[in-house]
Amino acid sequence: MAASAQRGRLSGIGWVALLIGVAIMVAPIVWTLLLSLKNNGELVGHSGAALYPPYTVENYAAIFGNSSTLRWLLNSAIVAIGTTAGVLVLASLAGYGFARLEFPFRRTLFVIVLLGLAVPSQAIILPQHQLFAWLHLHNSYPGLIMPGLIAPFSVFFMTTYMRGIPRELDEAAMLDGASRLTIFRKVILPLTIPAQSTLAVFTFLGTWNDYWWPLISATHSDMYTLTVGLAAAQMNYAQTSGLGYLMAQAVFASIPIFLVYIVFQKQIVRAMAGTAVR
Amino acid sequence: MRRLLAAILVALALGSCAPNDGRTHIYLQRFFGECSAEYGASIDVAKAEGECGIMTALINRFNRENPDVRIDVNVVAWPGYPQLTAQMAARDPPDLVTMHEGVISDYAAKGLLDPVEPYLQTAGISPDSFTEASRFGVTIGKHVYGLPWDTHGGLFHVNTALFAKAGLMRGGKPVLPNSPEELLTQAKQFTARTGKPYLIQSLVGDPAGAARNLYTYMMAQGSVLFPDPRHIKLTTPEGVRVAEFFRRINVEHAGTLNMDTPAAIAAFVSGEGGIYPTGTWMIGSFEKEANTPGRPLYKHYAVFPYPRLWGERVEYVSGHSWVVPARKRTPAQRDAIGRFFRFMAGHNFDWARTGHLPAFKQVLDSPQFTSLPERQDIAPLASIGRPLPSYVQRQSAIEGLVGEEMAAAFTGQKPVEHALADAEHRVNVLLSEVN
Repeated sequence: MAASAQRGRLSGIGWVALLIGVAIMVAPIVWTLLLSLKNNGELVGHSGAALYPPYTVENYAAIFGNSSTLRWLLNSAIVAIGTTAGVLVLASLAGYGFARLEFPFRRTLFVIVLLGLAVPSQAIILPQHQLFAWLHLHNSYPGLIMPGLIAPFSVFFMTTYMRGIPRELDEAAMLDGASRLTIFRKVILPLTIPAQSTLAVFTFLGTWNDYWWPLISATHSDMYTLTVGLAAAQMNYAQTSGLGYLMAQAVFASIPIFLVYIVFQKQIVRAMAGTAVR
Repeated sequence: MRRLLAAILVALALGSCAPNDGRTHIYLQRFFGECSAEYGASIDVAKAEGECGIMTALINRFNRENPDVRIDVNVVAWPGYPQLTAQMAARDPPDLVTMHEGVISDYAAKGLLDPVEPYLQTAGISPDSFTEASRFGVTIGKHVYGLPWDTHGGLFHVNTALFAKAGLMRGGKPVLPNSPEELLTQAKQFTARTGKPYLIQSLVGDPAGAARNLYTYMMAQGSVLFPDPRHIKLTTPEGVRVAEFFRRINVEHAGTLNMDTPAAIAAFVSGEGGIYPTGTWMIGSFEKEANTPGRPLYKHYAVFPYPRLWGERVEYVSGHSWVVPARKRTPAQRDAIGRFFRFMAGHNFDWARTGHLPAFKQVLDSPQFTSLPERQDIAPLASIGRPLPSYVQRQSAIEGLVGEEMAAAFTGQKPVEHALADAEHRVNVLLSEVN
C-alpha cells in the first residue's frame, strides 16, 4: 500500500512537467473562451484585447438571436442520437452473427465488411449522393442518418469483443432452453455494455462533428446540422471582422461534446487505452 | 417521455411540410453570412450595415413590398458552390443564387443556368445599363447569365498619417507610384522616415491576393492570359517582369512577410504600415476605423485602385451576381424573379455602401454614390476593371493554383521562372480535364 502510494506520488519535476502539459492543453480553450467574450470590433486591431476587460456576452446573444440555431441544435441531436442508436443495434447484431453463428460465407462476408475500412468516404460520395437523390432522401433525417450506419469498424469492434466472451455462457443458456435471440439479448448484450458505451461515445462524437455529408445532403437551412448552420452563419472574413462571434460559435458547438465527455469520461479513457476490447 | 418524443416528431413533420399560403415562393440561396439576430425584422435598408445586414434588410423589404411573393432564404457557408452543385445533381436547385461572376461559366457551360434576358425584360433592365466590368462578367457568348450586383477588385488602402510623415502627400492626397522603380524609391523613403514597412502584404494563405497582383500587372502590359479556353500563358517576359518585381519588393524589405489576411488587416488598422493592397470588401471596416477617434486610422484613410506600374491602366476584377439555375418554374415564379431583379437593381446603391462598386452606370455616376467617402477615388475601377475571359472555366480553382505558385515566387521559396512554369502547367492540366 505504501509502495503504491509512493509510486503514485509525483516528484517536483513531475509536477512542473504536468503543469506545463496542462497549461499547453488548456491555453487554447481559455483563449477561445476569452475571445468569445469580446466585442468583434475590439479584436480587429489587436486580438490581445481578449486578455483584459471589458467582456460581453453579445456574441452568444447573437447566436441565440438567430432563430435557426435551436433548430440546428435539435437536428444535430436527432442525427447524432439516431446514428448512434442505429450503429449500436446493427453492429451488435452483426458482431454477434460473425462471432457466434455458423453460416455459409461467414468469413468471406467478414472480410468484405473489413474491406469497407479501406474505402475512404470521399471515394463513394458521388454515387452515394446520386443514390440518395434518387430515393428523395436529401434534406431528411433518414438521409442524414443512414450513411453513418455503414460502420465497418463498429462491426469489427463488436465482433472482436463478442469473440472474447466465453462460449460456455451461450451453451449454458441453450441447456436452459434459451433461443438464439434470448441468448443475444439476455446473456451476451449485457456483457458488452463497456464496448457499447465506447462505441456509442465515438459514434456520437463523430456524427456530431461531421460536416461534409450534412453540407451536401442538407441543403435547406431548416435541415442543417449545427456544424453546417454555424458555418453558414459566418461572414466571409469571419476570422478578421467577426473573431469573437466565430469563437462563441466554437464554444457553443463544443458544449454538447464537452458534456458527453464529462459523462462518459471513463469509457473514453478506457477506449483510448485500448482496454475496451479484451 | 414517449409523448414528448412523439410531439417533437409531429412538430418536425409539420415544420417540414411545403408551405401553402397562396403566395408564390421563391427559394433564394446566398452567402454573406447570417445576421437575423440583428436584422431579422429590419426593412430599413438605409440603416443596415455590412454585407449581411444590407442583404437581409433588402430581402425583408422585398417580401414586405410584394405580399403575394415570399422569398425563402437559404444562407450557405461561403462560397456555397459545393451545396449548389449537390442541389443541381439532386435536381433541386434554388431559384436565385448569389454567384461570383468568374464561376458563372462553369455552370452555364453545362446548361445548369438559365439565361436571364427574359427576367431582365420583365424587370425593364437593359444590359446596356450595366457598367463595362459588370457586363463582361455576366455575359457568355451571346447570352447574359446573371443580374450583376457589384464589381470588386484590388485596391491600395493607404494610411495617410504615415504617408504624410514620409513626405508622400500632395494636395491632401497620397502620392502613389507610376512605375516599379518609383514604388521601390517611395518604399525606401517611407521606411527611412517612419521606420515602418511601405506595404503590408498577406502572402500566407491568400492565393487570391497573389493571383490578383499577377493578373492585374500582366493585363496592364497587354498580356493575353488565356489565348484559348484550354490554355493559360504565364511564362512570358511580362509574367517574369511582374513576378520578379514582387520578389524584389520582398528582397528589398519594402513589404511585410509571413502575414496571413487577419494579421495583415490587424497590422494595417494598428498603423503598422503604409499601404495594404486588398479588396473593395475591406472599405467598410477601414472606414469604421477611420471614423473612430483614437484609432490609428482616425481621419487618415484613403483608398485607390492599384496604381499603373506598367503599360495601360487596367485591373483584374470580379463581381457578385444573381443567377437563375435551370429548372421548371411557374409563370408566377418567373414573374416574381423579374420583380426581384427590378427591386435589386433599384437598390444597387444600398449594396454599394458595403464598399463594392455598383454594377449599374447610373448608380456609379450618381451624386448619391460619389458623395460617399472614398468612392470618387475608387470609381475608375468600374471602367478599368477586366474580368478573366468568360470562356475560361474553373476560374476559382485556377486562381488558387496561380496564387499558390506566385506566393512561392514572391517570397523566394521558388525561383520565379519555375513558379510561373509550374503555375502554367498545373492550370493547363486542370483545363485539359474540363469536359
